[in-house]
Amino acid sequence: MQTLPLLLERASTSADRFEPLFWVITFITAGTSIAVFIAIGYFCAAYRRGAVPGPTPRILGSHKLELFWTITPLIIFLGFYAWGVYIYDAAMVHSAPKDSMRVNVIGKQWMWKAQYEPGGQRVIVGGNPANMTDDERKSIGALVLPVNKPVIVTFISEDVIHDFGIPAFRSKIDVIPGRYVETWYEPTKIGEYHVFCDQYCGTWHSLMVGKVRVVSQDDFDQFLQGLTDAQAPGTGGSVDGSPAWKGQQIFRQLQCSSCHTNNSVAKAPVLENLYGQNVPLTNGLTVPANRDYIRESIVNPQAKIVQGWGRAPDGGSIMPNYRVGPTTDASKATITPEDLENVTTYIQGLKKGQTIPRNEHFPTPVNAPGNPAQPATGSKP
Amino acid sequence: MSVISAEPKALGPVPPEPETPAINYLNNNYGIWSWLLTTDHKRIGILYLLSLTVFFTVGGLAAGMVRLNLLSPSGAILTEDQYNRMFTAHGVMMLFFFLIPSIPAVFGNFFIPIMIGAKDLAFPKLNLASWYVFMLGAGFAIWAVLAGGIDTGWTLYPPYSSRYSHTNVVPGAMGAFISGFSSIMTGLNIMVTIHKMRCPGMTWGRMPLFCWALYATSFIQLLGTPVVAITLVLLMVERTAGIGIFDPSIGGDPILFQHLFWFYSHPAVYIMIIPGMGVVSEVLTCFSRKNIFGYKAVAWSSVGIGVVGFLVWSHHMFVAGISYYSALLFSLLTMFVAVPSAIKIFNWTATLYRGSITFQAPMLFTLAFLVLFTVGGVTGLFLAVLGTDIHLHDTYFVVAHFHFVMVGGMVLAYMAGVHYWWPKMTGRMYSDFWSKASAVVIFVGFFLTFVPQFVVGYHGMPRRYPNYPAEFQIYNILSTAGASILGLGYFMPSVYLTLSLFFGPKATANPWSATGLEWSIPSPPTQFNFDHVPVVVCGPYEYSIGVDQLGRTLPEPPEDGASLVKKETDVVG
Amino acid sequence: MSASTHSPVLKHHFDNLEQQHSAERLGMWMFLVTEVLFFGGLFCAYTAYRIWFPHEFEFASSKLILWIAVLNTALLITSSLTMTFAIRAAQLGQKKSLINYLVITFLLGAAFLGFKAFEYYTDYQEKYVPGPIFQKAYADAQHDLTHGHHPEHSPAAELAEHNAGKQPGDAGYLSPQRVQLFLCLYYIMTGIHGIHILVGLGCIAWLVLEAGLNRIPRENYSTVEVVSLYWHLVDMIWLFLMPLLYLTGAGLGKH
Repeated sequence: MQTLPLLLERASTSADRFEPLFWVITFITAGTSIAVFIAIGYFCAAYRRGAVPGPTPRILGSHKLELFWTITPLIIFLGFYAWGVYIYDAAMVHSAPKDSMRVNVIGKQWMWKAQYEPGGQRVIVGGNPANMTDDERKSIGALVLPVNKPVIVTFISEDVIHDFGIPAFRSKIDVIPGRYVETWYEPTKIGEYHVFCDQYCGTWHSLMVGKVRVVSQDDFDQFLQGLTDAQAPGTGGSVDGSPAWKGQQIFRQLQCSSCHTNNSVAKAPVLENLYGQNVPLTNGLTVPANRDYIRESIVNPQAKIVQGWGRAPDGGSIMPNYRVGPTTDASKATITPEDLENVTTYIQGLKKGQTIPRNEHFPTPVNAPGNPAQPATGSKP
Repeated sequence: MSVISAEPKALGPVPPEPETPAINYLNNNYGIWSWLLTTDHKRIGILYLLSLTVFFTVGGLAAGMVRLNLLSPSGAILTEDQYNRMFTAHGVMMLFFFLIPSIPAVFGNFFIPIMIGAKDLAFPKLNLASWYVFMLGAGFAIWAVLAGGIDTGWTLYPPYSSRYSHTNVVPGAMGAFISGFSSIMTGLNIMVTIHKMRCPGMTWGRMPLFCWALYATSFIQLLGTPVVAITLVLLMVERTAGIGIFDPSIGGDPILFQHLFWFYSHPAVYIMIIPGMGVVSEVLTCFSRKNIFGYKAVAWSSVGIGVVGFLVWSHHMFVAGISYYSALLFSLLTMFVAVPSAIKIFNWTATLYRGSITFQAPMLFTLAFLVLFTVGGVTGLFLAVLGTDIHLHDTYFVVAHFHFVMVGGMVLAYMAGVHYWWPKMTGRMYSDFWSKASAVVIFVGFFLTFVPQFVVGYHGMPRRYPNYPAEFQIYNILSTAGASILGLGYFMPSVYLTLSLFFGPKATANPWSATGLEWSIPSPPTQFNFDHVPVVVCGPYEYSIGVDQLGRTLPEPPEDGASLVKKETDVVG
Repeated sequence: MSASTHSPVLKHHFDNLEQQHSAERLGMWMFLVTEVLFFGGLFCAYTAYRIWFPHEFEFASSKLILWIAVLNTALLITSSLTMTFAIRAAQLGQKKSLINYLVITFLLGAAFLGFKAFEYYTDYQEKYVPGPIFQKAYADAQHDLTHGHHPEHSPAAELAEHNAGKQPGDAGYLSPQRVQLFLCLYYIMTGIHGIHILVGLGCIAWLVLEAGLNRIPRENYSTVEVVSLYWHLVDMIWLFLMPLLYLTGAGLGKH
C-alpha cells in the first residue's frame, strides 16, 4: 500500500510561501494547545477530590490574567493574519508578472480542458472519459507547464461551479459559470502533480481529476511545437493544435503518406527520425536534415535529391513541386507559408513508427481531380 | 485587580431532601395525547430528545456508510451516485435535524425556565408548535432522502442544485426551510423567557452561564434563520419555475446564493457550539467545586461570538471569486471571532485550578470537550488565515476541523449535558462504570477518526470524493477504524441509559450537589416546577462556600462513583 | 396563590398581567425582527441586481401598473390608522367601536388584496409573467417584427421593439432575462407580502371574534396591540416595496 511522505511536495513559488506559515501556525497552536492540555492534566491530578483538604478557594477571576489571554492571542492571530495576507496577495493574479505566459482552462461536467495562448494548443487535463467525445478522449493528457516561468491561468465553467486545485502548488480557485476568474503559478520543480476538482459538481466530481506536468523550458517549447508527447508520455502524439499536429493534418490532406510510408515499398524516402541526420545526396554531397532542408525539399524537391531516389525518368525526384501560395491545395500543388512551416515541424518531430499509415480508403483530397465535391474529413486544422 | 463580589454567608444545615412527590411531570398524565398535545416545556424537551436521537441515528448510519465506502480508493460499497446521496443525507440530517436544535431544543426547553425560576417558557403553545414544525420539516427531509435522496451536499450550491441535479432538491430544501421556523420559534421563546420571566433575585449577573449561552444562541437563531429561509425559497422558485435568480446562464449570480447562505450558515455553527459552551460551564464548575473563573468574560464572550459571528460569513468563500478586499476584511474579522473562544478555553482551564475535582461521566465528557474543542478551534485558524486557506479549502482538513468542533465539541457537550441532567429529567441514575467507559471510548474513537483526516487534508485530498488517489488509502482505513470505535461509543449510552430508566437507582433531588435552581426541586420535577416562587440570593457557582442559588447549604458532594457502583453492578453486570 | 386574585386572561405560568403583556409585546417585536431579516434577504438580492442591471430594472418596473400601487398604498396606510384607533378603543373598553375599527381595518386590507389580485390578473393577461409565458410572448413579437407585422401589444412586445436591430452587448440592449429577473423578484416580494397580509387578516378576524365574545377586556388590550405591531410592519414593508418595485421605472420615457 502506498503511503504519503511527511511533507507534501512543494512545486511552486506559492507552495514555498505557504509552507513556512503553515508550520509556524502549526507549532505555535500545537504548543499552546499542549500547554493547555498539560495544565488541565496537572490540575486534574493535583486537585482531585481529597488531594487538598478543606473547601476550595473562592476565586472569581483575575482581570489581569484575562486581559493577558485576550490580548496575547489577538496579537498572535493578527500576526498570522498579516502573514496570510502577504501570501494571499502574492497568489492573486494582480501579483503575476506582466509578461506571464497565458493558459485558458474550461471546466465542465466532468473534465478540464486547457488551451494555450497564443498558439492554441489544446489538451484535456483530465476528467471522466465516459463524459467525453471520442476526440476529447484521445486528447486526455496533462496541463504541461514550464518550470520557473510564471503562467496566468484564466478559468470559466460551462455549467456548475468547479474548483481547480493543485495541492503541490498550494493553489485553489473556484471556477464559476458566467464569469472569468484568474490565478497564476510559477512552478519550481519538474514533476507530475495532482489536479483535483475541489468544489462538489455532481455525480463524477471525484473523477474530475487530472495532472499537471512541469517540464523544463526546452521540453516545454518542444511540447508546444508538438515535437514531443509531454502532455501524455508514451502516446507519441503531438498536442492538439500544435504546429506538428496541424502539419500532420496537412500531410494527410496532401496525401504525402501515399509515397512517404515507413516501409520498404515506399516510393519516397522514409521520413522517420530524419531530422538531424546527415543525408547523402545523388550529387555525392551530404547535407544535414534541418528545417531549411526539409522546407526546400517540399517547395523545390529537385534541388537536393536523396541518394537512390532520383526515380523520375529524367533522374530527378518524383515529388510534386509545391509552390508557396495563398491556399493549400493538392490539385494546384500550392501550400501556404504557415502550412509549410507546420508540415516542416511535423516532419521534424516524426519518430520511428509514427508515420501516419498509407491508407487506401482515405478520401480523395479535397478538390482533387475527379472528385471535386467530396469534402475531406479530419482535414480541418 | 481581582474580582471580588460580596460573599454570600454560609448558612445553617443542609436542608432536608425534598420529599419526592408522587406526581411529577412524567406521570401526571398518561396516554399518547398527553404527550402529543402537551405544552409542558419539560415534556416538549423530552419529545425533542427522542426525535433528535432518531435523526442522529439516521445521520450516523449515513456517516457509517460514507466511511465504509472510503475504505477503498475506488469506493468499497457504493456507486458514486449513492455516495453523493449518502454524504448529503449525513450533512442534512446532522446539521439541520440534530446539531442546530440539539441543546437549545432539548436542554434549553427543559432547563431554561427552571434555571431562571419560571413555571414554563413564555409561549408554551408556540413551543409545542415548534416541535410539530420541526417534525414536519424532518418529514420532508426524510421523504427526500428515502424517495431517491439528494446529491447536492448540504450546502445546496446553485446552479448545480437549481438546474443540474436530478434529485429531490426541493423536498430537501423544503425540510430545511420548515425546520428553520422551528428554530426561530425556540429561539424567540427562550429569549423572551430569559428577558421577562426571571424569578425575584435572578439578575442578569446571577444567571447560570448556560442561560447566557442560550441567550446568545437565540439571538443568532432570530437574526440568521430568516435569511436562509428566504434564500431557500428563492432556490426552490428557481428550480421549479426555471427562472434565473442564481443561475448565470439565465441572468443570475451563483455567488449571491453563497453570500446569503453563509450569512446564516456560518452563524449557525455558533448556534451549534455556543450552547455546548454553556453546558461545559455548568458541569466544569460543579465537578471541580469552584466558581467559574471570570464569569463576565465567559458570559460576554458568548454574546461576543454571537455578534461578531455575523460578520465573518465570507470566510467560506476566500477562493470562490469574492473581491480581494472583502477577503482581507473577512479574514481580519474572523481573527476577532477566534479570540472569545480562546478566552473561554483559558478561563475553563483556570477554573480547574485549586478545585476539588471528581471524574464522573459528565466531567469526563467535559474534559474531552476541552481537548477536542481546542484542537478544533486552533485548526480553524488555518482556514481563517488567507494564505493557508487557499490550499486547505474544501479538503479533508476542513472536514476534520469542523468535525472536531461540531462532534468533538458540540456532541460531547451534548453528551455531558445528557449525563449531567439525566437524573433530573428521569429521576434515575445510570451506570457509573459504563458511562465513564463510553466517554473514554468516544474520545479515543473520535481522535482516531479525525486526526488522519488532517493529514490527508494537508496533502490535498478533496471533500466529497468517493474515488481518491491510492496513496491516501491507509489514512482512510485508519479513519474508518476510528469511526467504528466512535460508533460503539455512541451505542453504549443508548443501552445503559435505557436500562437506567427501568433498573437505575432513584436519583436524589441534587445528586451532584450542584447550585442551580434546577437542583432545588425534586427529581423528576413536578408539572409547574416550583411550589413557591423561588427567590435567588446569590450567583450561580458558589461551590467554595457551599450554598446554592437560594442560599441553602449544599449537601456533601458525591464521592466519585462510590455510592452508586455497588447498586448498579448488580443491575448491569 | 389562589386563582381568585387573578384575571381570567392571566396564563398560569405568568406572575401577573403586566409580565404577560410585556412578554407578548417583546415576543412580537422579536418576531418582527425575524420578518425584517426575512425580507432583508430579498432586498439584498434586489439591491445587488438593481446595481448590476439598472436599465433592465427601470424598463421592467415601468411596465407595472402604477395606479393600483398608489391606491393600495393609500389603503394600507389608512388601515394602519384604523388599527391604531382599534387599540385606543380596546384600552377604553369600548367593545362596539373596537369591533368597528377592526372590521374597517379588515376591509381595507381585503381591498388591498383584491386590487393586488386584479393587478396580478392584468399582468397575466399581458403575459407579464416570468418564465415560458414571457419568453414565448417575446419570441412571438420578435418573429412578428422580423416579418414586418405589428406585434400584439404587451410589455414583452415593447421590449422586442426596443431591442429590434440590436444585439446582446450593444448599447441600449435590454436583456429579456434580466427583465424577467426583476419580474421574478417582483412576484416573490409582493407574493410573500401578500401572504403576510393574508395572515394579518386572519389575525384581525380572530380579534373581531374574540371581541364579539367579550374575551378582550380592557386589561387585555395588549392582544390588539400585538396584532397591530404585526400589521404595521406589514404596512411598513409595503412602503419599501412600493418605491423599489413601482417607482424605479415610473419616470421612464416621460421626460
